[in-house]
Amino acid sequence: MRALEIKSLTFSYDDGTLALKDLSLSVDQGEKVAIVGPNGAGKSTLLHLIAGFRTPFQGDVLVDGLRLELSTADDVRKRLGLLFQDPDDQVFMPTVEEDVAFGPRNLKLDDVEGRAMKAMRSTGTDRLAKRRPHRLSYGMKKRVAIAGILAMDPEILLLDEPTSGLDPKSRAELISFLKGMKRTMLIATHDLDAAAEIADRLVILNISPVAEGTMKELVSKKGLLEGAGLEIPQIAKLFESIRDIGYSVEWVPVTLDQAAAEFQRTVERERRRDRPNR
Amino acid sequence: MIVAHVRGYRVKAEALDEHAQASWLHRIDPRAKLVGILGFVIVCALMTNSVLIFSSLVFSILFAALSQIPGKHLVKAYLGALPFILIASVSVFAFSGPERGLDMWGRTSACVVPLLVLASGTETYDLFSGLRRLHVPALITTLLMLTYKYLLLMSEELARMSVARRARGFRPAKSLLDRYGLSVLSYTAGMIFVRSSDRGERSYEGLRARGFRKEFPFWGGSRIDVPDISFMAVFLVLSTALAALQLGVVL
Repeated sequence: MRALEIKSLTFSYDDGTLALKDLSLSVDQGEKVAIVGPNGAGKSTLLHLIAGFRTPFQGDVLVDGLRLELSTADDVRKRLGLLFQDPDDQVFMPTVEEDVAFGPRNLKLDDVEGRAMKAMRSTGTDRLAKRRPHRLSYGMKKRVAIAGILAMDPEILLLDEPTSGLDPKSRAELISFLKGMKRTMLIATHDLDAAAEIADRLVILNISPVAEGTMKELVSKKGLLEGAGLEIPQIAKLFESIRDIGYSVEWVPVTLDQAAAEFQRTVERERRRDRPNR
Repeated sequence: MIVAHVRGYRVKAEALDEHAQASWLHRIDPRAKLVGILGFVIVCALMTNSVLIFSSLVFSILFAALSQIPGKHLVKAYLGALPFILIASVSVFAFSGPERGLDMWGRTSACVVPLLVLASGTETYDLFSGLRRLHVPALITTLLMLTYKYLLLMSEELARMSVARRARGFRPAKSLLDRYGLSVLSYTAGMIFVRSSDRGERSYEGLRARGFRKEFPFWGGSRIDVPDISFMAVFLVLSTALAALQLGVVL
């Protein structure tokens, strides 16, 4: 059974603005899929719709086999952890530990304190347990918001622009944290560098799906990302420039790890190419 | 003070809880504070004996002085309530004579001062939690919490818009003839509601996304300790004594 299945989804806002058109998407258990696209492409709308906050819509949304309808929205939400773009929209309770425990308490889960502590430890917010969330920095609030959804132990994480507004260090820490997490994820972002690091697969969305594939596949299709209003990852840009000036770059890497490996191979190839000339 | 971090800017959003942590009062269980202080306020409100009224006022002032809440803050808060106190006192002064008018001022002040100390010495959310633990209906405490949250959102939006206006050189209108200044302010007032409404909607979705339906779960400890009981006892003994003296039971 798929973790998430969307079939022919179309949604318009009350004022008639078309937000999503004829979108079909499947996410397997444990898979990390990034929805990328320019502003207004419908990324956030899609996540909020999956969480049952945007109705009515046409098409089918199945979360862990359960069809999303008005009557099932609460049950669907129990299986999801929705991270809002702005943590101020999400963090509510007076202390960090109370906020992290908010979800498990509402869902009447067992061992609320244990869950909250585990979630705080995994996000590095345990030392802030007694602090007032609204007095924390933006990055820390984001971590508290993530801890709040992890404590609910959802089957699928819906992350809306998880790296937006973070300083480089916090961003790198969050990317590494999400990369290491073994959980089904649907990530809405226009941070292609982050998407390349975290996601197994990307879907370019611009109200309707434009293309789908791994970052490597999408980058290899010239002009596809630019045509969708996106900028290719910095790493890919760098290696394209290196190739353009004549170095033997075999393929364009999209993540730091891939770049390190490809750089090593390119240097080796260049050395071999130079040897016969000596 | 609640400080909202707005992409690198720190905006003063709310000053209600500014002194709560500074006072020993915040360590007292909110239930003990609510029962003790509200009991005292009810007794004060029903008193007619001038000597007892001013004795209560002296106790209230003494309580405020011992609370470790800065006097300046309490005086400011009292000045905010003063117009209402004066309306009541002057009306009674005009219709029932100076002695009654003075009694009214003493009585209302004896009620208002400990309430200001309670509000300043307790985090607002803790007060709601205390009310809920005292079995105030969940509907009321939930409404209070959501209203409080909405007011915070409005004040944050107001602070953001104020920063944005000033950053582009806007200065508030200095007279009613400054039509441009007034039009900007009226536009701001309208936008606050629109933007707060949007944020309120997102915040509510944030709550629903974490399983919230219609009742906030309890938070904070549930144990009443010796200091809590002692605090409540001081207020209840004093209130009982004042009531007994007022009713002539002791005299």
